[in-house]
Amino acid sequence: MIDWLAFLSVLVASVIGACGVVFLFSVGLRFVGSDSRRVRPFGVVSFVLCGLLILYGLYLIIPAFHR
Amino acid sequence: MVALVIALALLFDFTNGFHDTANAMATPIATGALKPRVAVAIAAVLNLVGAFLSTEVANTISGGLIREGDGGVKITPVMIFAGLIGAILWNLVTWLLGLPSSSSHALFGGLIGAAIVGAGFGAIDLSVLLSKIVFPAVLAPITAGLVAFLATRIAYAITKKKQRSRFKIGQIFTSSLVSLAHGTNDAQKTMGVITLTLIAAGFQDTGSSPELWVIVVCALAIALGTYTGGWRIIRTLGKGLTEIEPAQGFAAEAATTATILASTHLGFALSTTQVASGSVIGTGIGRKGASVRWRTAGRIAIGWLITIPAAGLVGALASWVALAGPGGIIADAVVATAVIVTIFVFSRRNRVDAASMAVANDPAALVRPKRSKSKARANR
Repeated sequence: MIDWLAFLSVLVASVIGACGVVFLFSVGLRFVGSDSRRVRPFGVVSFVLCGLLILYGLYLIIPAFHR
Repeated sequence: MVALVIALALLFDFTNGFHDTANAMATPIATGALKPRVAVAIAAVLNLVGAFLSTEVANTISGGLIREGDGGVKITPVMIFAGLIGAILWNLVTWLLGLPSSSSHALFGGLIGAAIVGAGFGAIDLSVLLSKIVFPAVLAPITAGLVAFLATRIAYAITKKKQRSRFKIGQIFTSSLVSLAHGTNDAQKTMGVITLTLIAAGFQDTGSSPELWVIVVCALAIALGTYTGGWRIIRTLGKGLTEIEPAQGFAAEAATTATILASTHLGFALSTTQVASGSVIGTGIGRKGASVRWRTAGRIAIGWLITIPAAGLVGALASWVALAGPGGIIADAVVATAVIVTIFVFSRRNRVDAASMAVANDPAALVRPKRSKSKARANR
């Protein structure tokens, strides 16, 4: 009666999506706020990747983009 | 009759908006990432935009819960009328109690009640009720809670303490995504109700998409409702369940967004309200030193359990009266209006508004009033 496969895929996708965004944003904060200058660019890269993930979310929300 | 149903549908849309502001905006308001008024304004605009982005209206009002169509029940405007009354009244009661509950469930419940009175118990597809409502209601908060728990752990493991207030910037984006997703989903429900009513009344061809004016008024109604802000529910979700720090808020919103998007795109529908509540609880468990008020969580869970039966009962009662004839419909409308007015008057007794959600970002702000008092005394 319940589509457990669909549920499992929702669970896995949510974990990957949410943890991905949080991981990237956290790494960004950590590196950009770091005392050593060398790691700061990595922080910026991390923020950009996080932004891309958020844009992907926007893409999923707006039906006109994927139909 | 059709005009009355449309008016009620818009009222439902309005309550839907202010009930669900909390889903997106409770956490940024609680952490001070957004000022309360700004937060609800952003949510309102995004709901308005979202309503226009997607106008794909469901073919059935009840999502298959009621056996509609060939060989099934013909849903009449009277049933929709009674169902809407049930949904609106239940939404207002839960708002008064500050409980985040699913507006879709209230609508389904009201319609189910009306359909049972109108067509008997055979009208309801019980297996659909279980698989679409009951099981997801258990799974949604658990899923979102788990995701938010993991995300919170990650955020706290990686960042240093002094960096964490910057999560507020991220919160603006994640909460906006939740709002936009809400707009694309929830205004559709009302558009569907109005369009199906127009079709049932013969004003519109079967299978045609909603008229432009329907889209516009639905978008405006939900945006207006969102801007009004269900401050009681925002308070429950933002402050009642657990104390939320910016990193937790960010994690919870990311979890809510990811879970909702995954569920809409992978074919396992979950309620936004239940996902958002689960995320807040999950993030409360995830941070060391934070505690979850399980009594409040329990009240919310009970609210979810009785949403469908309660809205159904009101819908059934309204339907029973309405079937008596035009006088019954007028009686329904009068009683419903009276109850709505009573609830509003009652809510005035202890007001909860934007001001009561104000966050003191600066710890000194909490001390200052005392100091100024003593200063005033010293000046005397």
